[in-house]
Amino acid sequence: MRAALSLAALLAIASAPAWAAEPAVGQPTPSEELQSELSTREISIQANFTGIEILIYGSIDFSQTKAPDTGVYDVVIVIRAPNHPIVARRKERVAGIWVNGAGKVFPSVPGFYAALSTRPFRAITSDETLKKLGIGLSNLDLGRVSKDDPGEETVRSAVIRLKQKQDLFQEHDDAVAFVGRSLFRATVALPVNVPVGRYTADIYLFRDGQVISKNQSTLDVNKAGFERTIYMLAFRHPFIYGLLAVLVAVLAGLAGWYAFRRE
Amino acid sequence: MFQVYLPIAEISVNLVVMLGLGAAVGFLSGMFGVGGGFLLTPFLMFSGIPAAIAVATGANQIVATSVSGALAQWRRNNIDFRMGAVLIAGGMAGALIGVFLLKALREAGQAGLIVSLTYVALLGVVGVLMFAESIRAIRRARAGKSASARKPGQHNWIHGLPLKLRFPRSRLYISAIPPLVIGWVVGLLTAFLGVGGGFIMVPAMIYLLRMPTNIVIGTSIFQIIFVTAVVTVLHASFTHTLDVVLALILAAGGVIGGQFGVRAGQRLRGEQLRALLAMMVLAVAIRLLLDLVLKPSELFSIAPLAAGA
Repeated sequence: MRAALSLAALLAIASAPAWAAEPAVGQPTPSEELQSELSTREISIQANFTGIEILIYGSIDFSQTKAPDTGVYDVVIVIRAPNHPIVARRKERVAGIWVNGAGKVFPSVPGFYAALSTRPFRAITSDETLKKLGIGLSNLDLGRVSKDDPGEETVRSAVIRLKQKQDLFQEHDDAVAFVGRSLFRATVALPVNVPVGRYTADIYLFRDGQVISKNQSTLDVNKAGFERTIYMLAFRHPFIYGLLAVLVAVLAGLAGWYAFRRE
Repeated sequence: MFQVYLPIAEISVNLVVMLGLGAAVGFLSGMFGVGGGFLLTPFLMFSGIPAAIAVATGANQIVATSVSGALAQWRRNNIDFRMGAVLIAGGMAGALIGVFLLKALREAGQAGLIVSLTYVALLGVVGVLMFAESIRAIRRARAGKSASARKPGQHNWIHGLPLKLRFPRSRLYISAIPPLVIGWVVGLLTAFLGVGGGFIMVPAMIYLLRMPTNIVIGTSIFQIIFVTAVVTVLHASFTHTLDVVLALILAAGGVIGGQFGVRAGQRLRGEQLRALLAMMVLAVAIRLLLDLVLKPSELFSIAPLAAGA
């Protein structure tokens, strides 16, 4: 599976120059092309995991800027973890006690979302484009379509606020920095509670409000080692996991009794 | 430093803090001679562990501490195995219901609320009763009178029930129905609250079944091993809320803390100990109640849809 994927990636890279070079033929200025890479393609969550910082870097081939920071180009990076349905509940006061009310379901909420850019999103391009590409938390599609409910927006913004509080939703409109004429870099901090799965990093190159080149990378976040064994056991063989947990507890109890017994 | 990632709770906790929590609860349980589950689960909830995970993990931790305790009791010949078996049979039936109740509540987003409310009610009642009783005992001790001993052998309505069994170790010939019911209630509480249930079972066995006190404590701790073990397996299988890494950290702290607790407890007098424990129980109940009554700073909460499904 992995071998097949990397083979496909190799083929894609190998075939890329053929058509990438095409527009250059007979043209005085070849069009800009985005190249990008992540500092890591795979993250392992182990017992000592406390979060990780990822570097996203790249360059603009055939950059037409004469000097750094002339502001011709803008780079926007959107990182997403797979979508999951979540339910949001609002507490209501019932007989003096705060009780969770009826839940609203959001069918597709990214487990992690970060939008990074060189400048404020709305200065880069139109609201329409931002919405279409899902750039920025206010343009994020959480999979709920009913717009008739007046309370809808409050719940939506609460979901975003709660996710932001856990650092699972982030937006930083000054996080991408140019280094020289064509090189750019950005970092994003994945918190300790990141969900597992295949993440995508979409990198867009903007000029005059238009996407002139884009690139996508993937990032696999997995539990590894002991943590992975436990997690797999707990969800694939829960009965055996339960029995083992009891066995471990009995052994711990026996050890405690033996260590402290008074004869 | 010393952060440990919990694979099921999916959060990172401080190893020292969790070991300390286990040790503190172990210390209290050793000092007061109680299981400590009714303190551990609320403390876990206070430190940010979701209610359902606190309950299942608490049950698993109690398996470890009760094994140590039961071995000590067994060596003193304080266990009525036949009574234990009847209690365990009732306990398993209760545990099954408790696990599915918690699962349903969790899916409805009400697990935290109902678990907290049940704790407030239970700890409130037990705390007030214990406090009142210990104050009376302290006054009696000051007045120089000895506590009035209960007369054994009195017959009550319990002796009229059918299905009589002989329990030679407890010197009882009573119906199996009351121990089955007591076991059932305690099993339900174990699955639902992550407690051993000793604080319910011990008085029930003394006052309702009129078993000898030393046998009551041994038998209670013996049956707690099995009921908490069943609850652990049931929660692992059906609610996926058991975090074995957290349970092991808490158990390690608990076993060590318990030993020091036993020694500290021997220096204090019984009624003073009970008054202290009662105040502790009431403090936890008040803290849980405040969390329910005070307006939360964040009214919204989010959860994965159909957790564990």
